[in-house]
Amino acid sequence: MSRPAPSPIFTLRGAGAPLNTLHFSCHGGDTPLLFSGSGKGAIHMWNLNTRRAETVVEGHSGNSVVWVNTLRGTDTLISQGRDMRVCLWDLSEGRRAVLDSLWTGSVGFCQCSLLEMSTGTHLLAFAGQQTEEIKIVELPSKTPVCTLVPDAKLGMVMCIKLWQPDSGPGPLLLAGYEDGSLLLWDVTQRAQLNQTKAHPEPVMCLTFDPQCLRGVSGSSEKDLCSWRLDGQNNLQLQDSVTLVNPGVSQLCVRGDGKLLASAGWDHRVRIFGWKKLRPLAVLQYHTDLVLSVAFSDHQDPRQRLLAAGSKDQRISLWSLFNEGADTG
Amino acid sequence: MDSLAPHTEVRVAVAQCFRTLSTSTEPEDIISSLQTLLSFLDEGPESRSTPDQRAEFSRAHFTRTLQFLLSNIQADWLLGLSAAQRTDLWDGLFLRGPPEQALLVLMEGISELKASTSLDLLISITERFLLSGRLAALLWSSCLQTAPSDSPQLRETLLARIVALPDLTANRLHLKNKPCFCPQQYFTLLASEMLTALERTCQALKDGTDCSLIFVAQTLGKVCVQGHSGPVFAVMAPRLSVCTRSDMVWQRVCWKLLQNVPQRWMESVLTGLVQAVRGPEAFGRIIGNLVLTNKKAQYVVTHKLLLLQYKYETQVLRTVLGYLAADRERRSLLLQVLRALSQAWANPSAVKHTPLEQQLYVSKALLLSVNLLRDAELQELRSELLQCMLGGMQSHLDSSVVRIRHMGMVVGECLSARMDLNNTKLKFEYDQDEETLELLSLMTPISGEEPEEEPENGVTSPQETSEKTTQNASSENKSKSDPGSDLDSDDEFSPYDMSADQEMTKESPRYLRDCLETLISSEDSVRVELSLRVAEGLVRKNVFAAREISVQLTKVLLHTEDKYSIRGFLSLRQTTMVALTVTDCIPVTQYLTTEFYSMNYGLRQRLDILEVLALAAQELSKPISEERSPSVGVSSCTDLTPYPGDNPVHWRQVVERRIQNKTKRLTKGATQPPAKATPNRYAPVAGHFFFPLLSNYDKPQVTFDLLGGDHLVLGRLIHTLGLFMHLAVNAPVAAQMGRALLDFVWAVRYHADQMVRRGVLFAVCSVFLSMPSQNLLVDLNEQLFETRTWLADVAEGDPDEDCRNLAIQSLVLLDKSLKKQLQDQQALGMET
Repeated sequence: MSRPAPSPIFTLRGAGAPLNTLHFSCHGGDTPLLFSGSGKGAIHMWNLNTRRAETVVEGHSGNSVVWVNTLRGTDTLISQGRDMRVCLWDLSEGRRAVLDSLWTGSVGFCQCSLLEMSTGTHLLAFAGQQTEEIKIVELPSKTPVCTLVPDAKLGMVMCIKLWQPDSGPGPLLLAGYEDGSLLLWDVTQRAQLNQTKAHPEPVMCLTFDPQCLRGVSGSSEKDLCSWRLDGQNNLQLQDSVTLVNPGVSQLCVRGDGKLLASAGWDHRVRIFGWKKLRPLAVLQYHTDLVLSVAFSDHQDPRQRLLAAGSKDQRISLWSLFNEGADTG
Repeated sequence: MDSLAPHTEVRVAVAQCFRTLSTSTEPEDIISSLQTLLSFLDEGPESRSTPDQRAEFSRAHFTRTLQFLLSNIQADWLLGLSAAQRTDLWDGLFLRGPPEQALLVLMEGISELKASTSLDLLISITERFLLSGRLAALLWSSCLQTAPSDSPQLRETLLARIVALPDLTANRLHLKNKPCFCPQQYFTLLASEMLTALERTCQALKDGTDCSLIFVAQTLGKVCVQGHSGPVFAVMAPRLSVCTRSDMVWQRVCWKLLQNVPQRWMESVLTGLVQAVRGPEAFGRIIGNLVLTNKKAQYVVTHKLLLLQYKYETQVLRTVLGYLAADRERRSLLLQVLRALSQAWANPSAVKHTPLEQQLYVSKALLLSVNLLRDAELQELRSELLQCMLGGMQSHLDSSVVRIRHMGMVVGECLSARMDLNNTKLKFEYDQDEETLELLSLMTPISGEEPEEEPENGVTSPQETSEKTTQNASSENKSKSDPGSDLDSDDEFSPYDMSADQEMTKESPRYLRDCLETLISSEDSVRVELSLRVAEGLVRKNVFAAREISVQLTKVLLHTEDKYSIRGFLSLRQTTMVALTVTDCIPVTQYLTTEFYSMNYGLRQRLDILEVLALAAQELSKPISEERSPSVGVSSCTDLTPYPGDNPVHWRQVVERRIQNKTKRLTKGATQPPAKATPNRYAPVAGHFFFPLLSNYDKPQVTFDLLGGDHLVLGRLIHTLGLFMHLAVNAPVAAQMGRALLDFVWAVRYHADQMVRRGVLFAVCSVFLSMPSQNLLVDLNEQLFETRTWLADVAEGDPDEDCRNLAIQSLVLLDKSLKKQLQDQQALGMET
């Protein structure tokens, strides 16, 4: 009855190191690009038409790159490395130069979170030097906005997500901590709005959908835990999904809010329906931990891709459930 | 003349009575004479005699009368008396006169008479004497004589008789002894009689009469020194403790009593008392400030009980130290004691040479006394304590005995916590066993009342979880009740086939070479773990493949570290190495024995080598059985087989099993079928295990000095060599091995570390067990004599109990072996 398990439509090799992070940039422009950050400090820009690495830049002196993103509107790339620096790159007109860099002081693996403000500036949230500290700065001015430190000892900050609610005045921040707690912060008030204990183990990753105010977090155990924000900004735990094998390194919701992808330590990528977390597919291709997943931001829904980067030094690209967009 | 008159009168009357009793046959005359004698004892208004007469009779004639009665105990007139008359007249003389004289005469009579009706008569009188409270009367009468009227010899004799009464009667009566003469009952009785005497003394003091407690104190001392302090203080201590609680006179009487105990008996009285009282307050009330006035008592309490003896319960320590701390004047002694204790604890030589039990005892005392200090006093002693703590911990932690190390850790922790060194505390990791917990518990002072029960943490958790579940349930309900605003549910996508999504199981390697590769180069924890888990099975399954890479794999395993915290890592590694050694014996032993002495290995690795060799030798020496489990003797759940040296039972069991085997049991019969003969795989290769380890021990290297600081390894090495020797029984090479081993251990037989000495003794034991007895006599002729002398010396004087036992064991084995050999030679001589 069910369709046979899918295969990747193509793969990208040659990064030569584990792939910690992926980022698509396909919405505007001529060539759809995929950025990847590797364990050896290289950032590859893959041309998805030619399926070749267009450019490779190295800016973190050989230290692992944990996060890459682009600043919309400008041709600026932002990358975070384990040399405790966040670098801003100028990519316009073929330039490949570091514009600016920022010292974070964080020795952890927590990826930054970027939020575009209406004024053309960006807010960047990152883990600070102290164990539980989260700092937020404004880009490109690098003006510190605030520092958020919880009252209780929660361990290291593991993952953060910054977003602008439709109703509220200022941006909110979700953070997962080493002891399994999730905290909701109000950035303008610098106040902790809510706290809940989602996992018995450290929160490895989280993603949040601002449209329906729902999020999901993963940990080193088998359960994916989903939760929602009610009107009073309270985090309410909802049903959880149990995976076959423990460990999730990244979660990603597709732009249309219909699919959730998880990067598993068991070498597999899992696809769920985002509404009810119904398992839809298990993608088996990689031979080592899958470290990152990303959905592309193609304007044409039929072209949308899913990319998965693994410790086996490959990126696999998949085209899944795009037909739904066709009919509806 | 007036004063002379009653004397002569009494003497005439008594003589008259004696004459009548010895000559007359008329019952009336007899009775009237006895009544006359009795009348001198009667007090009261209707008495026929004057007080003067009574006093004179008691002084001069009573003993004579009783002796006369005893000498006529076989006389016809006595048998002629009716039972009632005899009880009244004859027995009455014994029971109503001065008790000390009566007791002396009775004891003399009992020791002279042979078993007969007369003896029975005396015994029954003595029994009644005891039961009717005459002992109390005796003690009380001695209290009243403020100046001793009788000679010291007499008092000495009386004292001896009182204390030795159970012995005298038991010697005379043997199995027919009366229960009230048994020590337990008798001394309980004596104790309550002493209490009675003390009570009367108190009463008398309140009435204004002077009393002397010298005799009671002497009795108490003598009883205690003869080892009967237990039953005596079991009765006295609780009563004294109660009486002294409110009554000053009682307290004074107790203090006086203890002051009057002669010096030579003071120790046994104090030790008996301190064990019997409950708590320092009672002890303080009973003995007062005796430690300040009496040198002997001070020595016993502050020195002997704490530093020299170590058999007492912790409660005794609490009592003694609490007593010293309770009074302002005695506190200086507490500080003095603390100094002495800390010095004793920190003394490196004491750590090495005193028995472990004593060290534990001193540690307890130290902790208790530190806990009793006030903060001001602590400041005063701070530098001394700190010095003691640092030095003492160093010598404790250096020790190779686990319990001593633990003791050092716990005491160090407690001291540092108490001294409050800039809010820093030492913290060690050790197993919480009974001993460490007890030591730790000493730091919490025991209050009189039961500590309040704290609410248990566990109680709250179920509520929490239930709350959580209800929360979950409610959120689930909510999500169900509100069907979601979006109609487009997940159903719009049809799922792919997900049947392949199974739990991850990595394939374990199928070839030994794969294991080797993984262990050398892989960074993948799962693969490393799987390789380790299957390696032993692969080695045993494919012997030929294993032989090709045995040395290489051994090398890799020896250097593998537990990078991934694999469960049971040490035992997996060990069993694999054992399997390799067993499979490819000579090259692997060659490699391991060479590596044992080479540079740049950690102690742990060298110990691992020894352990692997020992286990392999053990396995080789066992007969091959068909259905053997892949892991030999080591269950995978245990982290590591306990080190033989950690656990003295292990090799003691081995030795004992051997002795058991050598003991012939006639009752056993031939029920067991004779074991099938199988070749011993160990015998041909025993030399490969043994001799290389002997070759290099005295060449110190930069990183490894066997005869110096690394005595931990030395102890294990000798123990392992002993084991090789033991397993080599019946092997042709055993004689050579034994000779070499004895030579080797001779140099270290008086090593300061007890683990080394234990190892040496074990090795000697195994030499005597395994060497053929003719070789023993022929090859070791000269050494045997010296070895014997040394063993006898150790058996007598070694501070370590295990060493002493082992030395005795060795002596027994040696004698047995020699005797057998000599008998064989004699038998041979007879035949020829």
